[in-house]
Amino acid sequence: MVFPGTNSEEETQRACLAVGLEAELVHWSWDRARASAFDAYILPGGFAYEDRVRAGAIAAHDRLMQPVREAAAAGKPVLGICNGAQILLESGLVPALDGETARPQAAFAPNAPLGKYRSTHVYVRLAVPPETSVLTAGMEPHTVIPAWASHGEGRLAASAEVLERLEREWRVAFVYCDANGNALPDTVPNGSALGAAGLINGPGNVLALMPHPERDAWGYMHDGPAREAVRGDAAAMLAPSGGIALFRGLARALGLGV
Amino acid sequence: MTRCVEISLIIPDNEAATAAETLRRLGFPGATLTRADLYRLEVDAQGEGPGLLEAIRRIEELFNPNKHALRERGTAPEPGEVWIHEIAHGETEPREGPVRIAGRTLPGVNGIERFTVWRLADADGAPATHETVTRAAETLLCNPAFQVASIR
Repeated sequence: MVFPGTNSEEETQRACLAVGLEAELVHWSWDRARASAFDAYILPGGFAYEDRVRAGAIAAHDRLMQPVREAAAAGKPVLGICNGAQILLESGLVPALDGETARPQAAFAPNAPLGKYRSTHVYVRLAVPPETSVLTAGMEPHTVIPAWASHGEGRLAASAEVLERLEREWRVAFVYCDANGNALPDTVPNGSALGAAGLINGPGNVLALMPHPERDAWGYMHDGPAREAVRGDAAAMLAPSGGIALFRGLARALGLGV
Repeated sequence: MTRCVEISLIIPDNEAATAAETLRRLGFPGATLTRADLYRLEVDAQGEGPGLLEAIRRIEELFNPNKHALRERGTAPEPGEVWIHEIAHGETEPREGPVRIAGRTLPGVNGIERFTVWRLADADGAPATHETVTRAAETLLCNPAFQVASIR
């Protein structure tokens, strides 16, 4: 789903195609019927509507979100990445405690402590049983996925009551961690509550993930020693990296054997 | 003593225009909307004079005379206004050192809170009702997960 200001649709589409999905870019000008004819939806990263009012706030009310709302209600997979994740929280589709989707219950708020934009390589660890979400059902427990955090508003913020329920009701799907899966305070790039990188709704078909797995989907996109290890080896550089796991999960959710 | 300084755009405000258009689509017919940054300052005797406004005018990150208007105003929302303030989640320890605004210290200023002021009016320019402002805040202008809306 491409809103004015979305900027990560091409690489997101490429990751989908790489795992065997058919993926089409749906622009905000599409009519509703045409935009409703898909089995799953991805809201990619960017700065929809220039983050006016708040990151994701205007897009959350865009008419392009109606087919997304209908898909979410019908149990179809919906994945929001970075700005797409912000849109999902602003729209109320995640975490949707008690099934309530009319108002936001949480936000990806300005990073702490200084509210600054940050771009850095991160790892996220699956923090719920894989079967909790149709998007992670094929993953091993505690799967670690590399990604790039690239945002100024990625700090999970909510009331103490909501945060407690997010933990208790298995809504924190991914937490920031190190390469070995250790969730440590200094692995959180933005001050996010609960160290959360991604949240899901109750049925588990809607996932809001702040860092970009599509930006670490091939070897040459990786960071640190792993990237150095493939330098000069074209086949290794173009081989799938860990970030592709989430798109494989989406493909599995749609019945593709990948 | 509390002083409030409002800085608003004198050039077209695209953000306010987008928010107004969204509100119209969400059932606020004829809504007009303006936006401003507001700084609520706790000052001591040193900060009570006119020099404070001049000091803020010199902070280029906040005020550009080609783009902005600056005025001192009342310390509470006026009819038609909602003030949006971010809750300081994640800051468990008070910040040490002098109070800063855009990285600068201001003489006589001991505390600063920043708000976004949204001002709603009906098609005739009259301030929107309390009910309308409340609904606009709940619908679009405030995310209660990390913001607080103050309405008169």
